[in-house]
Amino acid sequence: MFEILEHTADIGFRARGRTLQELFESAAEALISIALDPENVQPVQRYTVEAQGEDREALLVNWLSEVLFLYDGRRIAMRRFRVLEMTPGRVRGEALGEPFDPARHHAKLIVKAVTYHQLRVEKDAAGWFADVYLDV
Amino acid sequence: MQREIPVEQIDEVRFRIPRDAAHGMRTDVIVYASARLMEHIRRDLSLQQAMNVAMLPGIVGHSLAMPDIHQGYGFPIGGVAAMDWKDGVVSPGGVGFDINCGVRLVRTSLTAREVQPKIHELVNQCFRDVPCGTGGAGPVRINNEQLEHVLVHGSRWAVENGYGEPRDAEFTEQGGCLEEADAAAVSARAKERGRPQLGTVGSGNHFLEIQLVDEVHDEAAARAMGIGAGQVCVLIHCGSRGLGHQVCTDYLAHMGAAMQKYGITVPDRQLACVPIHSPEGRAYLGAMRASANFAWANRQVIQHFLRGALRKVFGDGVHADLIYDVCHNIAKREQHLVDGERRDVLVHRKGATRAFPPGHAELPAAYEHTGQPVLVPGSMGTASWILVGAAGAMKETVGSVCHGAGRLMSRTAARKGRNAREVREALEQKGIIVRSETRDGITEEVPEAYKDVDEVIEVVHRAGLARKVARLRPMGVIKG
Repeated sequence: MFEILEHTADIGFRARGRTLQELFESAAEALISIALDPENVQPVQRYTVEAQGEDREALLVNWLSEVLFLYDGRRIAMRRFRVLEMTPGRVRGEALGEPFDPARHHAKLIVKAVTYHQLRVEKDAAGWFADVYLDV
Repeated sequence: MQREIPVEQIDEVRFRIPRDAAHGMRTDVIVYASARLMEHIRRDLSLQQAMNVAMLPGIVGHSLAMPDIHQGYGFPIGGVAAMDWKDGVVSPGGVGFDINCGVRLVRTSLTAREVQPKIHELVNQCFRDVPCGTGGAGPVRINNEQLEHVLVHGSRWAVENGYGEPRDAEFTEQGGCLEEADAAAVSARAKERGRPQLGTVGSGNHFLEIQLVDEVHDEAAARAMGIGAGQVCVLIHCGSRGLGHQVCTDYLAHMGAAMQKYGITVPDRQLACVPIHSPEGRAYLGAMRASANFAWANRQVIQHFLRGALRKVFGDGVHADLIYDVCHNIAKREQHLVDGERRDVLVHRKGATRAFPPGHAELPAAYEHTGQPVLVPGSMGTASWILVGAAGAMKETVGSVCHGAGRLMSRTAARKGRNAREVREALEQKGIIVRSETRDGITEEVPEAYKDVDEVIEVVHRAGLARKVARLRPMGVIKG
């Protein structure tokens, strides 16, 4: 669950989840949906995503940076994410997808990086939410 | 939500935010802008970001903001700050995620009259030969060992491996190679991410543009650059691709954790910084230089494929010589006179261009009397400018000037109510042919999303930071 946020030069999103785990999953989906159209991506293979961070904000940025590395570095098109294990300072999960195929997958924007710009990871009445801005 | 920032107007093109405007500022912010540009600038967070930069330990002179300033991450885009080389800090946010993003301008031996009838063919050929990289790997296959050479030698690697002529490196800032690059400080993942992307332009505001020289403002300087009215040039705007993005990401993570050790606190996490001579600072600078070299090699390789495309369309007699290549996201060790004293500093230029004046020792002989060419691209479909560095830049802005038009509108706002076909047709009516690998690449970069580049140029010209040489207007654009 996420919506797009505005930034003069770049782009951001607000992701939501009932739990922190769910928030990390929907934030990863938001990131990937900005980089490519997930429509034609078959969730047939599992890819491990692991990150560490000194606090919640760093953990989210590092988790999303790992997802971005899988896409831009390993050329994996992803569609769904599952957090399997989360402790303060560490998260381990998996991405479901397949190798990027330019014939079938539609790239949208090259995302350069996940930033700390106006980053928020907070809880409200509806659950957890995060505001994240990407450099594109 | 945002509190009023006290801005004093100094003169027609200069504004000041005094150091007592916020707790923790160590120096004033000086903004170069017209009153009209200042209205735009006040609307986003860029002034607050320039004030945050003024809080960094070891800042020398002022926190500087160019007229194209807009909100960035940590530093504003269009921000310049020099840090004392002995006691100052280095901040990856002062360089940006796209290390050595920059601009290369190539002059062709063709006139607009010769190119016009074949402009579709040329745009299509360039689109085939110079990939943006949204869909996959680039045209250059290198192994890990070759990548190490790219990281250490930059443009020189490209030239020695058949992707250019020796003259090309000479006409690149710093000879297209920063010394003391440390390939070992670049992570394995940064290498893995960047290696297949050598020779690709990228997306966002990156592009390759076929332009014609529209107005010449300084005949002598234009002659030194080998250009005249009606001549066709090609401008290449791109950087270090995924390699640089990953290096910045990696080091922001290290520095965020290391800052505490050095007793540094910053108002924005994106401004994470460490002492220049700390192990983390030295490693970052080594990796940043390696990334800068990758970017120069990248632009050099792209120029090589552009040469090929030009020859396929216009025959082997066509020349495509480099006018100059400048970076606008970098931190460099330089010597500058600050308050009458010669200081060794690390100049952070984030969305800002070096602008050395005539007579500076680092210029190629051809530009000894004109000053360093400064290349300022406008937005898609609007003019670009060639300037030369002037004495004012050395006195006031540690040899720096603006880098572009500067965005006004968010990407989502730019997309709203526009479709790619209409934008493409409107540009075609103005005689500009556009090819893009993605639909959003066109709508998000509409000319209305940017400030007026002519007004930005007028400010730096009047402030004496750089002088106008020529204005170029687009004929064809290739983008991601």
